[in-house]
Amino acid sequence: MAKAFKYGIKGITGYLEPAERELLRSLFDDVVSMLEPEERANQDPLAALVGLDAEAREPSDRALRRLLPSVSKNDAAASLEFRRYTERSLRESKIGALKAASLGLDKDDLVLTPDDARHWSMALNDVRLVLAERLDIRDDEDAGHVHLMQDWSQAEDVESYLALVYNFTTWLQESLVQAMLQSLETRG
Amino acid sequence: MTLSVALGPDTQESTQTGTVTSTDVLSAPDIPWNLVIWNDPVNLMSYVSYVFRSYFGYSEAKANKLMLEVHKKGRSIVAHGSKEQVEQHAVAMHGYGLWATVEQATGGGDGKGSGKGKGKRG
Repeated sequence: MAKAFKYGIKGITGYLEPAERELLRSLFDDVVSMLEPEERANQDPLAALVGLDAEAREPSDRALRRLLPSVSKNDAAASLEFRRYTERSLRESKIGALKAASLGLDKDDLVLTPDDARHWSMALNDVRLVLAERLDIRDDEDAGHVHLMQDWSQAEDVESYLALVYNFTTWLQESLVQAMLQSLETRG
Repeated sequence: MTLSVALGPDTQESTQTGTVTSTDVLSAPDIPWNLVIWNDPVNLMSYVSYVFRSYFGYSEAKANKLMLEVHKKGRSIVAHGSKEQVEQHAVAMHGYGLWATVEQATGGGDGKGSGKGKGKRG
């Protein structure tokens, strides 16, 4: 069983079983592949290099839309223009955090620097946002319902399996954030 | 390097070398754009509070107050500034997975106008 992240003299430390590492690695990789920008034949390589994407559109996939939200609630044109300037680098920053967390899983000891911890918390959050869309969590009541699923012997279909995975990543992120908050207190 | 959008204030601090940058000039409190954070059932309250503390440098009390406002009222204005400033904050919040939008503080908030004039090419 995984142990909650803790803040101590070595920094933030945690413990995960090999199977749990494997699970997290595949979750991080899944979200990375969702976020990887599609390569287009007519793409301007210089524009791509500086992060511009003239073809960017609001994603049709709900989970992706949640990861890459529109910047204005009621001005679609302004949101689209903003997206063309910023979405590519937002994707890259998210991918960077997910890959950093994934790489951290290769080490035997989970000892996180403040930067590692930030990447981990962002990566776990993005994984949870995607799982929540797949589980149709729309409000606190839905979230409470999913939260009831705690027993792995109950996993009988994809949905109950996803709910268990969601609850595991929620627990892990909560323990990590508590350790990060503690480190903020100590560092002042 | 790919994570720089998520660094926010930290990166600005490192450029404080005595010269007044354009963002300093624009940071008067009456500049009419807001950064809004919206409630969702996924983000942990502790995480939202952590982001407000570490990114904006808010005190624990202020971060918790804003976080609870998001949770109870469905949204909260967590920062003000020029359009460019709040847009930069919005991208950073999106990096953290928070649901952030920008709006004009007064009027319809439809963000009309020429917007950013930089880097536009036909």
